[in-house]
Amino acid sequence: MRIAVCLCQVPDTSSVISFVGGAIDLSRVNEVMNPFDEYALEEAVRFKERFEGSSQVTLFCVAPSSAREMLRKALAMGGDRAFLLSPTEHSDPFQTALILSRAITDVYGDALPDLVFCGKHSTDFQSAQVPLMLAELLGMESVGAIIKLEASLATIQVEREIEGGIESLEVHYPALFSVEKGLNVPRKTTIKAVMEARKKPIDFLSITISTSQFVSITSIKPLVKEKKCRFLPDTQELVRQLAHEHVLF
Amino acid sequence: MKIFLVFLEQREGIVKKASIDTWNLVQELAALYPDTSVSALLAGPADIRQLDGVLAGQGVVYHANEEAYRLCNPQHYTRLIADTMKRVGATTLFFADTALSRDLAPRLSVRLQASLLSGCTVDEAWWNGGACQRPIYSGAAIASFAPCCPLKIYTIIPHATRSFSSATTSGSRITFETLEPSLHTSEELFPQVRCIAMHKGVRDVAEATIVVAGGRGMGSAEGFALLEELARLLGGAVGASRPVVDEGWRPHAEQIGQTGKTVAPALYLACAISGTPQHLAAIGSAGTIVAINRDPHAPIFDVADYGIVGDVHLVLPKLIEELQEFLKKR
Ligand SMILES: Cc1cc2nc3c(=O)[nH]c(=O)nc-3n(C[C@H](O)[C@H](O)[C@H](O)COP(=O)(O)OP(=O)(O)OC[C@H]3O[C@@H](n4cnc5c(N)ncnc54)[C@H](O)[C@@H]3O)c2cc1C
Ligand SMILES: Nc1ncnc2c1ncn2[C@@H]1O[C@H](COP(=O)(O)O)[C@@H](O)[C@H]1O
Repeated sequence: MRIAVCLCQVPDTSSVISFVGGAIDLSRVNEVMNPFDEYALEEAVRFKERFEGSSQVTLFCVAPSSAREMLRKALAMGGDRAFLLSPTEHSDPFQTALILSRAITDVYGDALPDLVFCGKHSTDFQSAQVPLMLAELLGMESVGAIIKLEASLATIQVEREIEGGIESLEVHYPALFSVEKGLNVPRKTTIKAVMEARKKPIDFLSITISTSQFVSITSIKPLVKEKKCRFLPDTQELVRQLAHEHVLF
Repeated sequence: MKIFLVFLEQREGIVKKASIDTWNLVQELAALYPDTSVSALLAGPADIRQLDGVLAGQGVVYHANEEAYRLCNPQHYTRLIADTMKRVGATTLFFADTALSRDLAPRLSVRLQASLLSGCTVDEAWWNGGACQRPIYSGAAIASFAPCCPLKIYTIIPHATRSFSSATTSGSRITFETLEPSLHTSEELFPQVRCIAMHKGVRDVAEATIVVAGGRGMGSAEGFALLEELARLLGGAVGASRPVVDEGWRPHAEQIGQTGKTVAPALYLACAISGTPQHLAAIGSAGTIVAINRDPHAPIFDVADYGIVGDVHLVLPKLIEELQEFLKKR
């Protein structure tokens, strides 16, 4: 099995995101692996373990070179090699997907990888666009936000949450999935795995694209919370207020 | 002439309320400007009489009334939508932000070379360049995104503070046109939806107009019986914070937050939820927020409209009683 995993970096949740002179200040931000990508990577590594011998997990990340540290961790979690791809100046999801698709075609040649795993969304921008754009660019079967996966050598059965229920789908190889929290429990890295990961290759791949952005960010502003909480003495008063506001029933 | 197409999503023959809200929002925007037309595409067998009196404005609803569209197979849907865009000459496509549109929209964006603006809210300023807003960095900031391509796709989060249920449908002129069967639907295209299993009798948090959510302070799975009772009384849905789901007290489908669902109910009741940024990120579009927490300094109170400081195990039974009283009197 040839398995690719797309990983990105996001500020960890304890990072302070502040504004200086109206502009967003990310200088005090600590970047970590996107939490959803941990589930994606774990699922890939489980596949590798199941089809042992010939399977390889290759990681792809569009980010500045500072993402090496995160990729080391991903290699310790079970990736075999990693490719770091530099972003365009103001990458939008389409450009990111385009860079990833070119890199995957470069690395795998004419054949596609059997499987590609991505996270459901990145927790910083939450666009949830890159995975299915990538699938469309590569011409792969794909399903977003899966919560369950059962594979045989011929087909893959997956489930995803829809509003008020669960949808079951059948997919063939080669396929791309973006994964939802709860698909698996990502492993902790061991010291031995961390040591071994140091020997695994992280290569830079230079991809140039000429397509311009589909979407641009025109402003980023602090979210002003102008609500002022009215503390109420008891539930009787609460019901009165809510009935008055017509939000009950 | 600007031509908008709104996708109406059905599940089991019922057109989603979120889709109807999106149509009504688009009608409201279109009414602000001359020379616009709005049409809709409804895919799958559905009784169109359910749309009587709920769609505002004027326009044509194209109905692809084929059995092949009963289940939402992405490849067939993508083709149908792309074909209908061409047929009506639409430059802008609107979806409600749902599991289905999050799957279809990125595919269509690549296929049609269209700007995709997803999970966003739009307001009147939308006319000026088509920009829309979305919170980023767990709600620490709000970003404005602008499309760069001639074709545009939006997936819209309804805004609880705007009530579309009261959208005026008087004087609306909607016509229906059944589309001739597509040629490609006989083809077996994968992925293929094998079945859907709906949770019977349970309302989804992402769609409910009232959400009663519980946090770690509810204490146990049993503690949620109070919230279920409350949800039943109010006709709402139960939601949960992440630790509650991680503990296995509630299913992941109910999780609200950065790694859960985004909700926009008219009333959000947060019980024993501290209100961390990862949770607040997903309730930014809620209407009235009520918080019940024993810690008067809990950050949830910073975003709440009403607060009660107290133990949920004492406050909630009283609230249930008050509501029963209130219901009796009505
Ligand atoms: C990558 C990442 C993603 C995350 N995604 C999400 C997400 O999607 N959704 C989410 O919710 N969280 C998410 N979190 C977790 C988040 O950081 C918080 O840990 C979580 O929201 C806290 O949940 P809580 O408010 O239920 O629990 P706590 O923070 O433990 O708060 C419990 C609250 O209950 C109150 N309380 C306790 N007992 C009572 C009582 N008897 N009566 C009244 N009040 C009482 C306490 O005063 C306290 O305010 C995420 C974290 C990370 C790192
Ligand atoms: N810069 C990137 N490099 C590699 N993969 C990415 C990148 N951005 C997004 N992805 C993948 O796409 C998923 C969804 O991201 P997004 O569409 O940005 O919400 C992530 O979980 C990753 O798997």
